[in-house]
Amino acid sequence: MTQTMLALIAEELARIAADKGETLPPVGPDTRFLGGDLPIDSLDLATLLVVLEQRTGQDPFRAGFIQFTTVGELAALYRLDAPTGAA
Amino acid sequence: MSAVPPPWIDPGVRLIEADTHLGWPDIAAAADALEATFRRESGMATVGIATVEGDRASTVAAALIAAERANVPLFLKRHGPNPGAPVAEDATPAMPGFAVLLETSGTTGAPKRARHGFDRLRGRLRGAPDPDARWLLTFEPASFAGLQVILTALASGGTLVSVPGGGAAELAQAALRHAVTHVSATPSFWRAFLMALGNAGPPLASVTLGGEAVDQPLLDRLAARFPGAKLRHIYASTEAGALFAVTDGRAGFPASWLETGVDGVALRLCDGVLEVRSPRAMTGYAGPGGGAPDADGWLSTGDVVEVRGDRALFAGRLDGRVNVGGVKVSPEAVEQRLLGVPDVQDALVRAAANPITGHILTATVVPAPGVTEADVRAAVREAIADLPPAARPRVITLADHIPLGSAGKKTREGAA
Repeated sequence: MTQTMLALIAEELARIAADKGETLPPVGPDTRFLGGDLPIDSLDLATLLVVLEQRTGQDPFRAGFIQFTTVGELAALYRLDAPTGAA
Repeated sequence: MSAVPPPWIDPGVRLIEADTHLGWPDIAAAADALEATFRRESGMATVGIATVEGDRASTVAAALIAAERANVPLFLKRHGPNPGAPVAEDATPAMPGFAVLLETSGTTGAPKRARHGFDRLRGRLRGAPDPDARWLLTFEPASFAGLQVILTALASGGTLVSVPGGGAAELAQAALRHAVTHVSATPSFWRAFLMALGNAGPPLASVTLGGEAVDQPLLDRLAARFPGAKLRHIYASTEAGALFAVTDGRAGFPASWLETGVDGVALRLCDGVLEVRSPRAMTGYAGPGGGAPDADGWLSTGDVVEVRGDRALFAGRLDGRVNVGGVKVSPEAVEQRLLGVPDVQDALVRAAANPITGHILTATVVPAPGVTEADVRAAVREAIADLPPAARPRVITLADHIPLGSAGKKTREGAA
């Protein structure tokens, strides 16, 4: 299911970038969020997490910050196959 | 040229700005040029205020030296989101003599200008020489916190690394390239910085957090990531400046300090709100924020504190403001602005807890009858365009009504 999550993250990143008039480069599992690969800042990343919570019904960070650097690491924190709301 | 540095600068200091390296002779030359300008300008006005763009640490350092020598107030302009926006004067009348005027980070409405005595700006700094220290400047140079870092580095005779206009990614690259040892930043910056560093890490000896409440998972991560570093978080209030530092690696502060005080500062709770009495704060009362102490010198911080066991933990602001990436924003004020949009029938702005920026604002909007989704979104976007990025609701959801809580009020609190 991580493939689906990757696609969802890429779709929402593209939307956030488009809102700023930026074009998103190709996004893969190894793409780093804030390392300079993507035209986004930490507010954009914060926005992405809110949107992902709305779309998946899951908040992997409820208990606190979990370290992630790449798109693949974030995707792995969500379980798309789980029923919405159950963790 | 006057090559003798003021007592608060060690001439061994080095500034690295992106790829430019500057030493004391460079700073002194810039200060001489600015001093001549300041003297010429102040001769033409009743109370001349010297103004410079405070977007570089080197400019700020040179301007401080020049303004002190010319004995004029120095206004450090800030590169905010609205460079052309008018700046409201604070209530303090313009006074002659050396002082530093800073733009406060306005959350809604025009930014304000606040006056700081130079002694107060330097009040908490320890002047120990430390030529091997390599500081990273993560704050805007013309902010209160940025000045603390610049002044500390200037006094230490060490190195100050900065990237004008750079974000977490650029600062992480600079931190690695120049092997910085001291970093002071907001918790939000630290989260982004850790992400940008990936698996690499500079040789940090000192990790400082301030500007917003610190959560335990972040402290734990930093302690694990930089085991050799001294880890501390600073508590400060707008009116009283920096008040105390917590060094035990735990969020909040020891509840016993509410009885004993700490570092000369007395603390108490009044209806759950932290009040402080500090000898250092006495000169700061004329400053920004409008806070005033009572007859016994106690000043309310507006920060709500909960005692759990042996720990006092911060639980938000009394006025409902929340911290978004180090910027205090008011959901209510933003909501009022949305309610003033003709295409909007009703609106609710909430602060959602966020692992990256602490909080983030979201809005639920009810369009006026007959208004299309595209039109109401465009109207809302226009209405918030001049707010600082942190104060703009980042996710806007349309609804046909705003749900009310049991008390008949909008339930503003987001999931904690």
